Amino acid sequence: MRFMVCLKPVPEPGTVRVDPETHTLKRESATLILNPADRYALEAAVELKEKTGAEVVAVMMGPPNAAPLLKEAYACGADEVYLLSDRAFAGADTLATSYVLSLAAQKLGAFDLIFCGKVSIDGETAQVGPELAAWLDWPSVIWVKELSPVEGGFEVVRVTDEGEERLVAKTPILFTIEPESNDPRPPSVKRLLEMLEKDVPTLTAEDLGADPARLGLEGSPTRVLDVFTPTYEGKKELLEGAAEEVVEKLVSILKERGLI
Amino acid sequence: MAEGVAIFAEWAGDGLHPVSFELLSEARRLADELESKVKAFFPAPPGQESQAEALIRHGADEVLYASHPAFENFLDDAASRLLVKMIREDTPEIFLFPATARGQALAPRVAGYLRLGLTAHCIAFEIGKEDRTLIQIRPSFGENVMAKIISLTKPQMATVRPGVFPKAKEDPARRGEIKKFPVSDEDARSALKVLERRPKAAPKVDLSRAKVVVAGGRGLGTKEFFAKLFELAELLEGAVGATRPVCHLGWISEDHMIGVSGQTVSPRLYFGFGISGAVHHLVGIRNPGLMVAVNTDPEAPLMKKADVAVVGDVREVLPLLIRRLKELKGESHEA
Ligand SMILES: Cc1cc2nc3c(=O)[nH]c(=O)nc-3n(C[C@H](O)[C@H](O)[C@H](O)COP(=O)(O)OP(=O)(O)OC[C@H]3O[C@@H](n4cnc5c(N)ncnc54)[C@H](O)[C@@H]3O)c2cc1C
Ligand SMILES: Nc1ncnc2c1ncn2[C@@H]1O[C@H](COP(=O)(O)O)[C@@H](O)[C@H]1O
Repeated sequence: MRFMVCLKPVPEPGTVRVDPETHTLKRESATLILNPADRYALEAAVELKEKTGAEVVAVMMGPPNAAPLLKEAYACGADEVYLLSDRAFAGADTLATSYVLSLAAQKLGAFDLIFCGKVSIDGETAQVGPELAAWLDWPSVIWVKELSPVEGGFEVVRVTDEGEERLVAKTPILFTIEPESNDPRPPSVKRLLEMLEKDVPTLTAEDLGADPARLGLEGSPTRVLDVFTPTYEGKKELLEGAAEEVVEKLVSILKERGLI
Repeated sequence: MAEGVAIFAEWAGDGLHPVSFELLSEARRLADELESKVKAFFPAPPGQESQAEALIRHGADEVLYASHPAFENFLDDAASRLLVKMIREDTPEIFLFPATARGQALAPRVAGYLRLGLTAHCIAFEIGKEDRTLIQIRPSFGENVMAKIISLTKPQMATVRPGVFPKAKEDPARRGEIKKFPVSDEDARSALKVLERRPKAAPKVDLSRAKVVVAGGRGLGTKEFFAKLFELAELLEGAVGATRPVCHLGWISEDHMIGVSGQTVSPRLYFGFGISGAVHHLVGIRNPGLMVAVNTDPEAPLMKKADVAVVGDVREVLPLLIRRLKELKGESHEA
């Protein structure tokens, strides 16, 4: 069996800047980290590999400086890692991102399972996983917290709004993994050292045989028109002074309003 | 030509998910502005005509009822294929999905199949004056930024979290049309088979109905001090809310998070202790009766937004407030 894991490079919170013209994220300016939710996706794939003897292939669409994150993924148990990187990918929304990932899924082998994180901390759409499944015309199940192989597929437990559901799913299939449903292992020092001198293999738009019209900002059906910071001018009551006084004043306001 | 504002009417296993009626109120508003109609796309098991009628009484002009026994359960692949088919035949101009577990599983699959734009977790919509474009507003990357997003494809699709829009009012006199959308066994074919549904044992923290919300942020300093909020919440018969960083620091579970990534609250009284008031948090607070902020920094956005802004150190104000409220309780007990 062969599994693909999608890992997203995200800016470390607090280091983000937005391009004033395109209103997209300026990824070059930020320190990149592995999207926290994706660690659980990687761990789920590696744990399943240990049970079933599969290969785990980690892919990441991102700028060249994201490559060290894939070395870390290798050290955490991925067997092969690929960076999908091309200037033409810049400014991609979820549709253009999932398109590139779908090309990688087709190029890098006959996969049985694809694992994604539940949601990224920057885009925060939780869309890329199910969109990727649709590009491939595969089924998908989101928010998977347990999975085990059974005859012809996998038995999974997914989180729902009402509780949980247990279901069986045929392969090939894409799962997004519920955070904290496993305990991601730390990188192995031995495997880190192994990767130290090596280059992370990179696939470009050409390598993937991509349709240029589907890539990056041009291939993205959504556009950011404008960004703005909301301002507030409430007719508020400002309470200043010694803590005893402000608390007394606050209590009397709450009383007046019938709130206590 | 694309026409109509559509919603996904969500079958929740034993009835309509209440968010369906929230989407209807916004769809109605948009359709009125566009002088168009509201369509509810409703895949569900057979025998749910009364639910379809409820959708009409709450603002739908047309319900496309796609019934099949398989839709008793939510089947991600079959539901998305069916919706793609429905959208191809009935081409709405706008399509709103709930950002529920089912909506979030479904909407991106539909977007992927139809190569459409999809904007996640919108908190407001506007209609572009010249070109009828749907302007989708959502908190964006970075701190304190909202983005206006448009889709170049149709239907223009977006998801909306529960609690963002008010529930549509029921009008028993409203009339509309229920159209049966034919579903074959092939349409309902799925790679998934649901074996068991396990309802939640205890309901997850439900802040959405709390009358009083006592929320805390990083300004509370430590997990131990944050726990004081529970004392205050108990005194006020309220629930404890939190900002995202505080949840990530492990001071409290994520069930308590308020904001884009968490829950939406609309309490009579909201308290924010040591919270800066980033848009990501503020969008989770809808129509609070009274908003009180306590912060050392009078310039913090939450202090600007609040009705009552207390300039002070939470380490002093919070314990004093708790003590004072306890005293008051004691007095009323004696009385
Ligand atoms: C995509 C995305 C999604 C997000 N989703 C959410 C979300 O759903 N919910 C959410 O809450 N956040 C969310 N965030 C994070 C959000 O942008 C803010 O970073 C966060 O809300 C800030 O939390 P805070 O107010 O607790 O901390 P801070 O911004 O650090 O504010 C702490 C405040 O405490 C005050 N303070 C410090 N010491 C004291 C004291 N002793 N007494 C009184 N006041 C004190 C400070 O003046 C400051 O105003 C999201 C961010 C992104 C990028
Ligand atoms: N650029 C990317 N490269 C690889 N995987 C990605 C990328 N963007 C998103 N993903 C995957 O999709 C998931 C959801 O991301 P998002 O839709 O941005 O919330 C992530 O957790 C990743 O598993």
